[in-house]
Amino acid sequence: MGIRELQGYASFLMTILFVVALYGYIVYLYRSEKKGEKDYEKFGNIALDDEIDSTPINSSDPISDEKKERNK
Amino acid sequence: MFHWLEKNPFFFAVGVFLVIAFAGLVEILPNFAEASRPVVGLKPYTVLQLAGKNVYMKDQCIACHSQLIRPFKAETDRYGQYSLSGEYAYDRPFLWGSKRTGPDLHRVGNYRTTEWHENHMWDPTSVVPGSIMPAYKHMFSNAADIATAYAEAVTVKNVFHTPYGDDIKAGKKAWEAYRPKVLAEAKKIAANMKNKDVKDAVNAGKVPEIVALIAYLNSLGSSRYEANKVK
Amino acid sequence: MQSNAALEYDYSVAKLFTYTAILFGLVGMLLGTLIAAQMAFPELNYLFGQYGTFSRLRPLHTNVVIYGFTVSGVFATFYYSAQRVLKVSMAESKFIMFVGKLQFGLYLIAATGMVVTLLLGITTTKEYAQMEWPLDILIVLIWVLWGVAMFALIGIRREKALYISMWYYIACFLGVAMLYLFNNMEVPTYFASGGIGSMWHSVSMYSGTNDALVQWWWGHNAVAFVFTVPIVAMIYYFLPKESGQAVYSYKLSLLSFWGLMFVYLWAGSHHLLWSTVPDWMQTMGSVFSVVLILPSWGSAINMLLTMKGEWNQLTENPLIKFMVLASTFYMLSTLEGPIQAIKSVNAIAHFTDWIPGHVHDGVLGWVAFMIMAALFHMAPRMFKREIYSRKLIEAQFWIQTTAVVLYFTSMWIAGITQGMMWRAVDEYGNLMYSFIDTVTVLHPYYAIRALAGVLYVTGFVMFAYNMIKTMTSSKVLTEEPQFKSPMA
Repeated sequence: MGIRELQGYASFLMTILFVVALYGYIVYLYRSEKKGEKDYEKFGNIALDDEIDSTPINSSDPISDEKKERNK
Repeated sequence: MFHWLEKNPFFFAVGVFLVIAFAGLVEILPNFAEASRPVVGLKPYTVLQLAGKNVYMKDQCIACHSQLIRPFKAETDRYGQYSLSGEYAYDRPFLWGSKRTGPDLHRVGNYRTTEWHENHMWDPTSVVPGSIMPAYKHMFSNAADIATAYAEAVTVKNVFHTPYGDDIKAGKKAWEAYRPKVLAEAKKIAANMKNKDVKDAVNAGKVPEIVALIAYLNSLGSSRYEANKVK
Repeated sequence: MQSNAALEYDYSVAKLFTYTAILFGLVGMLLGTLIAAQMAFPELNYLFGQYGTFSRLRPLHTNVVIYGFTVSGVFATFYYSAQRVLKVSMAESKFIMFVGKLQFGLYLIAATGMVVTLLLGITTTKEYAQMEWPLDILIVLIWVLWGVAMFALIGIRREKALYISMWYYIACFLGVAMLYLFNNMEVPTYFASGGIGSMWHSVSMYSGTNDALVQWWWGHNAVAFVFTVPIVAMIYYFLPKESGQAVYSYKLSLLSFWGLMFVYLWAGSHHLLWSTVPDWMQTMGSVFSVVLILPSWGSAINMLLTMKGEWNQLTENPLIKFMVLASTFYMLSTLEGPIQAIKSVNAIAHFTDWIPGHVHDGVLGWVAFMIMAALFHMAPRMFKREIYSRKLIEAQFWIQTTAVVLYFTSMWIAGITQGMMWRAVDEYGNLMYSFIDTVTVLHPYYAIRALAGVLYVTGFVMFAYNMIKTMTSSKVLTEEPQFKSPMA
């Protein structure tokens, strides 16, 4: 019976943990957008503006990008 | 933390994996030992029955027939006592099925006979008017693969400690020595059948698929453990 | 960025998988229609001797539509859209190109092997995992190659942010990998017995109830990670791109993603309600199945709201029609599923025709509609020609929608009738019907379902014809269309 109980507690705790994490994520999403740190909605444009030569929505600084190009 | 996850595809993938793996770990693994315990007195399938089970699998009887009687009055009235976990201990794979186009077969051995199955597999509508089940005449001529069934018995004995006797062991010689026992069992089934070709084949040392299948179907039900219960 | 001026997306692998999606779609749906007709008219069982019975063909149908049609569609759309949302071309890396083509080659071998072995009756009988061990090994290899291509593309990406579609493709890759491996653990009997019998045969590592648990953990999540997750990936890319509207709420899409990941796996045991599986696990399965409505509807509503203020496109563009209907059917079947997972409903619904009914409003209405719309969207860009005929698409849409409605309504009625008749008792408490009564009464519904199959296949033939014409003889485009796919 020991393992059954353990199983029960484990699933209960993990469920709580995941639920907290999920809610934390919701709070984080909206807060960081309100504070102006991030704009999630602009990521939606990745699908619309997807030509190979169009400017990435989110790229690291151009210099390191170029370095990577050369290294290939 | 969230920001970092979004930026790192590798750790993101690890995160996804943990989330989806967690349910499986908690849900499935710890129950393994308990659910694999057989009911008292349960005998493993004989080699001929295993060959029949493989015919059942080959022709996918599972597509229309379940082997799981649920604990409802309507089901126990129709098919007999509801299924117990321990009855499936030697079933690899499980053959519960997911659709009942035809009736459940988990206890079909309790109420159907060799003769009935023979007629039914040759022409289902002859015993069940209105049946939409196809006839399986090719089972009367195709030979059952008893060698593979023996190999299966050896495998489950050696790898999973299924309680078979000492005469079931690896190697071609052991199989040659065991073969007559399978034929003897097949002869007992064929004795109750009327199809001439089947009888001839069994006498000539071959086992048609239908004989193996009937051996398997007859074994389904409480006979597999009830006879051994009182010691 | 100037150095990339001449660089173009390379669709060669996407094209290859597009061909197989069309081919296997046609084969799988024809088989489906045949077996549907066999249930109404049993004489049709004898067309191909022992290889043509319902029982032999049914797993072939499911496997061809899943591993042939759907998985081809997933790979095709992946190799198309991943390049675009990551803003890298496959032509930039010889390695990725090689992996992609190798993956296709092995896939073709495995798919052919699957068709042949299932016809011969070489099978493990575990649903959607019927292939025997040599093919399983091949499939694992194919899957690993896909993962290599996926992460290699991600590794050289220009767009640092991963678009939501990529999240879903990654989840599809991981989920299927884990589940497939666990469920297909098997011991080949030939090697374990010192070389007796058939090379192909194997026994499952698990027995009885355990085997059932692992199987339905897989079976349910095959639906999750093959029929839901990658299809959601598709709609998140193709609907915005075709309509020119960004996703309504990107945040909602992220939340539904994690919600779906978290909840879906738990729901697997709802396939085993009232069985010998422990009670608490059945209850968990039931509860989580109901909770599953939230993330599913989150995605679906997000898709519908993406069209906000642009509903006129629904009449102007048949591809939008396909995708909007697909998300509607997604909502329908994700509502229907949890209802069936409620224990008392399940007592009636399980083992009946309601279950194939439920599966098919999902796969015909959601999966296949979405894949066909995606392939239509890709065609003008891959082959640089406009879509051959708009009229044909419109006709196809209506024929197939009618087919789906006929299919699920007839199966709903059939399933509930059957479930009620099995348990009906007279005033003395005796069973009222013998089993065969519950079979013969279903004849008209089986006939309607067969008709639905014929209609759906007709629509698919129109799709295939339209695609082939688009590839070969349609008007050539001088530049890539931005949003709406051009069609004649």
